[in-house]
Amino acid sequence: MHYVIIGNGVAGINAANRLRNLDDEAEITIISYESKHHFSRTALMYVFCGQLSEQCVEPFERDHYEKMGFKRIHNKVVSLDVLNKKLQLKNGQSLTYDKLLIASGSVPVMFDWKGADLEGVGNFVLWSDLEWLLEKAKTAKKAVVVGGGLIGIETAEILQLAGIQTTFLIRESHYWPVALDENEGTIVCDHMKEHGIDVRLKTEMQEILGDNGKVTGVKTSNGETIDADLVLIAIGVRPQTDWLADSGLNFDDRGGIIVDEQLQTNLENVYAAGDCTSVVWFNDVRRPEQLWYTSRDQGLVAGENLFGLEKNYKRGIFYNSAKFFDIEYTTAGYVNFNFEDEQNWYQKEEGKPYTVRVTYLPDKTVIGFNMLGRRWNHTILVQWIAEKRKLDWVLKHLNEANYDEELMSPFQVSGGIS
Amino acid sequence: MQAGLLTTFKSPAKSRGYTAWILSVILFVFYILVYFTPIPDSWANAVGLNGKWQMYGVLYTLAMIIGGYFFLRKHGNSKYHKVRTWSVIFFQIVFAFSIPEIMGLFDSKGFNFAKFWPLGIEYLYPQYIFEYPLLIIVYAFVASLIAVPILTLLYGKRWYCSWMCGCGGLAETAGDSFRHLSDKKVKAWKFEQWSIYTVLFLALLTTALVIINWGLHFENEAGQWVTEFTTFDLIASKIQGTYQFIVVAMLSGVLGVGLYPLMGSRVWCRFFCPLAAIMGLVQKFGRFRITVKDDMCISCGNCSTYCEMGIDVRSYAQNNESFKRASCVGCGMCAHVCPRGVLKLENKWDFKQSSDKSKRPVFDL
Ligand SMILES: Cc1cc2nc3c(=O)[nH]c(=O)nc-3n(C[C@H](O)[C@H](O)[C@H](O)COP(=O)(O)OP(=O)(O)OC[C@H]3O[C@@H](n4cnc5c(N)ncnc54)[C@H](O)[C@@H]3O)c2cc1C
Ligand code: SF4
Repeated sequence: MHYVIIGNGVAGINAANRLRNLDDEAEITIISYESKHHFSRTALMYVFCGQLSEQCVEPFERDHYEKMGFKRIHNKVVSLDVLNKKLQLKNGQSLTYDKLLIASGSVPVMFDWKGADLEGVGNFVLWSDLEWLLEKAKTAKKAVVVGGGLIGIETAEILQLAGIQTTFLIRESHYWPVALDENEGTIVCDHMKEHGIDVRLKTEMQEILGDNGKVTGVKTSNGETIDADLVLIAIGVRPQTDWLADSGLNFDDRGGIIVDEQLQTNLENVYAAGDCTSVVWFNDVRRPEQLWYTSRDQGLVAGENLFGLEKNYKRGIFYNSAKFFDIEYTTAGYVNFNFEDEQNWYQKEEGKPYTVRVTYLPDKTVIGFNMLGRRWNHTILVQWIAEKRKLDWVLKHLNEANYDEELMSPFQVSGGIS
Repeated sequence: MQAGLLTTFKSPAKSRGYTAWILSVILFVFYILVYFTPIPDSWANAVGLNGKWQMYGVLYTLAMIIGGYFFLRKHGNSKYHKVRTWSVIFFQIVFAFSIPEIMGLFDSKGFNFAKFWPLGIEYLYPQYIFEYPLLIIVYAFVASLIAVPILTLLYGKRWYCSWMCGCGGLAETAGDSFRHLSDKKVKAWKFEQWSIYTVLFLALLTTALVIINWGLHFENEAGQWVTEFTTFDLIASKIQGTYQFIVVAMLSGVLGVGLYPLMGSRVWCRFFCPLAAIMGLVQKFGRFRITVKDDMCISCGNCSTYCEMGIDVRSYAQNNESFKRASCVGCGMCAHVCPRGVLKLENKWDFKQSSDKSKRPVFDL
């Protein structure tokens, strides 16, 4: 049996590992054009600033592929011929598979702004983006980051650290409204300002200005011009599936490959996992879920199903975490879904960027948590949501889910119900 | 405001560049001069200090204070790191430096109460320890043989290695900028297991030989010393001398500190310290562990990079495995730098290595 896995990201490598655990004999080939070794995309920012080396962000030692008996192809697949079970590579070669997993991840979303093709405009998603930015950062003095999400804030942080004066354009009235409410978003904005970022709220980029093919600045929706020799677009990612357009696969409207519960596509012997895959979310919406954890879990399940175990992929209750400069963030459950009748219990600690928000329904059933600053054990929070715990009980027990470093002052409930 | 955690190790000094090599050579030369020549005595006298060892003590303490200041500028937002940094500095100033110096003023041999056998191998050498008052003799035995294992069972070896020990203290303060240079490969771990238990064996052997030899001389009924010189004498003193030269001078001093800029700050503690070896074995049965929060690790590698003991923390974190490792000194930096708050140092008796993932909770509105 020849398994071919397209993608050396977290989904691809986990599928391969699981497959190898299940089947000592199988022939497993991993194809990737981006990098020879599996690396953590989530750690790109640390490589940029030099906190981690290239090898530090490789989750497995370099001999992993030999040890596990994976064959590697460092090239791009340009098309998939399902009838003949054949893949065409960019270098002219081709190969056949018995079962195929597509784990091709994401590419950055671009908009066709005027000036988007100027030198000095780029993204921060792929390894090649990292190399590009490292080169640019050597000479850049001023940067504009566009897009108030996670990659945006990480990019702003590392550019500022590299001594590049950074302006951060955010379309909304506070940072990251998908996940944070106004209080929380404002705390993060203030924190960014303390670190020297010029944060512009309710500001969109209208046009990128240039001279001699090089960026000189941007024009904003307020009619203002901001000087810059570097413009980073971080308005999101989309599935890297353009190359599959003629394959006969079904896609959702974002370009995600539609799969069933067992991560099988509409085509026989073809599975998909990770960022490129359109899955059903906990609220029955179908779309890709571009997260590290979900990509990894999908990879593991895909590995089992390639082998023939017929396992279902279950998302479970949503959770996530992030870090905004020095402020850590943990979320679990249904926060910011703005259910009509939801209410929020909120508490901020005096003088610190520490907040706790508990979202609950009119009968006091807790459905979500949004926490800044302190550390929380999401597995316990998620457990409480599953057990439909009531607000009073949760507040009384909240410290059991605290995960702060030892010796840190304990969390205390003092706030009111809002 | 607290300096951000995000940092860079790109400078040559922190990435085995030319400055790192120069620094390493300077440290090597300095240690060789101090350990094996009288030259530093003249430097000490020139600045009004009483001999090279007093000067060494002053420099060592200063290095820790200055290094501690820089460490806390970066990581002082964490109470855990604040307390343990002040703790190592306190034990250095008071226990390792001041008390022995003050004892010296009273014509007594100095004694470091914050050092235990077999790191202080001589603490169980009868001819050394019996020169002290009874109280100190009892302290040396009780502390080394009873208190050390009990405290380690309860709190892990961190109570010593990153809260009290002078070697660890220098690593945590002056050596902090080099912590990422420790080798994380499985190969290094294999070497570590071999080397550290070899030194432990040598320490036990040397101590045993010295004690037996002392006993042989004492055997005479009238309590008279047997003064005859035997072959056993020769072997015992040869081995004692060899241990002193290889382990105490070369490995803990010259190599241990000289390699800071090239192999990280805990070369001695990780590969050679016999006290760390004993406490590591006890730690495996004790309460201390690092708990991993399920499914939150993004495999970034910060924890492994910051681990001065070269533990590949990430390999546990990304597999949702809480763990106990003999070498872990509980500095807590992995947990501190983890951008997703995955890791937590804890003292608890019940130890569940990993949770049952098939029982992941679901919820329907
Ligand atoms: C800067 C940044 C920070 C992030 N931080 C977080 C975070 O904190 N938390 C979180 O949950 N998520 C985060 N994410 C998202 C997370 O990294 C992704 O969800 C995850 O990496 C997706 O993994 P994957 O295996 O699906 O795809 P990818 O990691 O994107 O891998 C895709 C693979 O497919 C290969 N490939 C694609 N097309 C082809 C082709 N045609 N031929 C051959 N090979 C091909 C590529 O070479 C690559 O190896 C972050 C993303 C970025 C960019
Ligand atoms: S630092 Fe945290 S997120 Fe990064 S690899 Fe270690 S445990 Fe995982």
